[in-house]
Amino acid sequence: MAKVLMKGNEAMALAAIKGGCDAFFGYPITPQNEVPEYLSYHMEKNDRIFVQAESEVAAINMVYGAAGSGARVLTSSSSPGIALKQEGISYLAGSELPAVIINVMRGGPGLGGIQPSQGDYNQITRGGGNGDYQLLAYAPETLQETVNIVKRSFSLADYYRNPVIIAVDGLIGQMMEPVDLDQKIEEKKSPAKDWAATGEAAKRGKRNKIVSLHLDPYQLEKHNLKLKAKYDEMKENEQQYELINMDHDPSIVFVAYGSMARIARSAIEALKKEGIEVGMIRPICVHPFPEKAFETLPKSVTTLLTLEMSLGQMLQDVQIVNQGRYTLDFFGRAGGVVPESEEIVEKVKTIMKGAAK
Amino acid sequence: MKRIQVLTGHYGSGKSEIAINLAIENKIDMLVDLDVVNPYFRSRSMHELLEAHQVSLVESTIEKALGSDLPFISAKGSRPFSDKSLTAIYDLAGTHAGAKLLMQYREQIDIQDVDFLVVINIFRMETATKEQIFDLIKTLEASSQLKVTGLINNTNLMKETTEEHIKQGEAVIKSLAEQLNLPIRYTFIEEHVETNHIFEGENRRLVRYLAKKWL
Repeated sequence: MAKVLMKGNEAMALAAIKGGCDAFFGYPITPQNEVPEYLSYHMEKNDRIFVQAESEVAAINMVYGAAGSGARVLTSSSSPGIALKQEGISYLAGSELPAVIINVMRGGPGLGGIQPSQGDYNQITRGGGNGDYQLLAYAPETLQETVNIVKRSFSLADYYRNPVIIAVDGLIGQMMEPVDLDQKIEEKKSPAKDWAATGEAAKRGKRNKIVSLHLDPYQLEKHNLKLKAKYDEMKENEQQYELINMDHDPSIVFVAYGSMARIARSAIEALKKEGIEVGMIRPICVHPFPEKAFETLPKSVTTLLTLEMSLGQMLQDVQIVNQGRYTLDFFGRAGGVVPESEEIVEKVKTIMKGAAK
Repeated sequence: MKRIQVLTGHYGSGKSEIAINLAIENKIDMLVDLDVVNPYFRSRSMHELLEAHQVSLVESTIEKALGSDLPFISAKGSRPFSDKSLTAIYDLAGTHAGAKLLMQYREQIDIQDVDFLVVINIFRMETATKEQIFDLIKTLEASSQLKVTGLINNTNLMKETTEEHIKQGEAVIKSLAEQLNLPIRYTFIEEHVETNHIFEGENRRLVRYLAKKWL
């Protein structure tokens, strides 16, 4: 297919269909409404299942049921709606069920606002559900990257038997950009779902049970260790990031994702015109956090400037990875305020003045 | 140009950007934003710019409360239909659902005064073919109870648009325009596109007011 012009939410919805999504369960909330709106029409046309549930809690439990039967399942929401789904997400992880969750982030906490935000970083990377579980969490920057990640995420969820969350801020959900829906992606190869509850116990000779309840602590610990081994494998194999402008010996390097990375790119271009070279580490997978990116920085680097549309959440991951190697600084806007690239340029100049003293 | 231009089309066809462009360039008195669907990138976020160009903006939220997702239509929105001294542009929300909002002015609309224009970009999957656009026009007419009076070619892939793309759009739209006996009123051309070609209708350069420069 040639390129078409799509809105982020529509593009994610179509990408899910292309990625083999069998069923969608969701509930409306701004600014992600075009995802269910698009799917309400196109899932049926493609012989798939679409249900508008009575609430977010119902939707995530429908996801649990459908995933347990071996289907490729999607739900989408925005920040407070994702908060409502946390219990179900913990159950999915505990029962080792694959599912894809899209979060189109808006300002918070609480009902917050409807303008774009990255305030759910902790929610998507740490999770709000109970127990020792982790998610594979992506935070793409362009619609093309978003589409490719959504398509691939179903195979990743299947491979790890774990929920995958894709978080974009509201801007990426609402903006329009040309995309190619059929760009080749490398699917993660996963074995057949011989664990699924498909009603074929007689044929199989044993019953498949989907549970997250293990009353024997030794048995539960064994289960926890099994999950941990998967998370370690994710950490080893799924770190994904982009390094930008590193071959110009920058002393300051941004760490930014999603829309903030787009704004940071404008700042890098503007600073370049003034003879100032700044690099950027752009996490694509935000959990596991791309630690490997920090091992390869040029010797010229002295300062890491974390940029967020939130107030120092990813900064904590940068602190953990940094281990005191570089000077850390931070710039963030919150509440749905989208910064201009000029604000970032000013911040860089302030840091440079301080360093020159 | 008629006194009132109403812009309709599929969502994402570029109605709001075009509404702002036309309001400023044609020195229109009033821009009425009837898009109660989209939370971002709407003409109501352009308050200051429009004020500077003496365009009065009637918003589709409670005045200047951009962060509200409560649909709201000000009573001021009907003024251009009663005050014949005013020129106006109406920016509808996409598809037949958006066009339905016009029904509230049904008793006041004098069709002599109104141009009902469909904005089309053939790189939107829902308006890629002549048949799809034909169906869209029929549903828009049915839900607004107004006859479409002209088409706008806004075929683009944003920064990736070429002259060839606009020509592709024109081929599809022109063939439909002939079938329906409708004029192509405007062709909008992205600022960066290098072309000396004269397209159908008035040729206008599209200034992107709503899309941020880093988008």
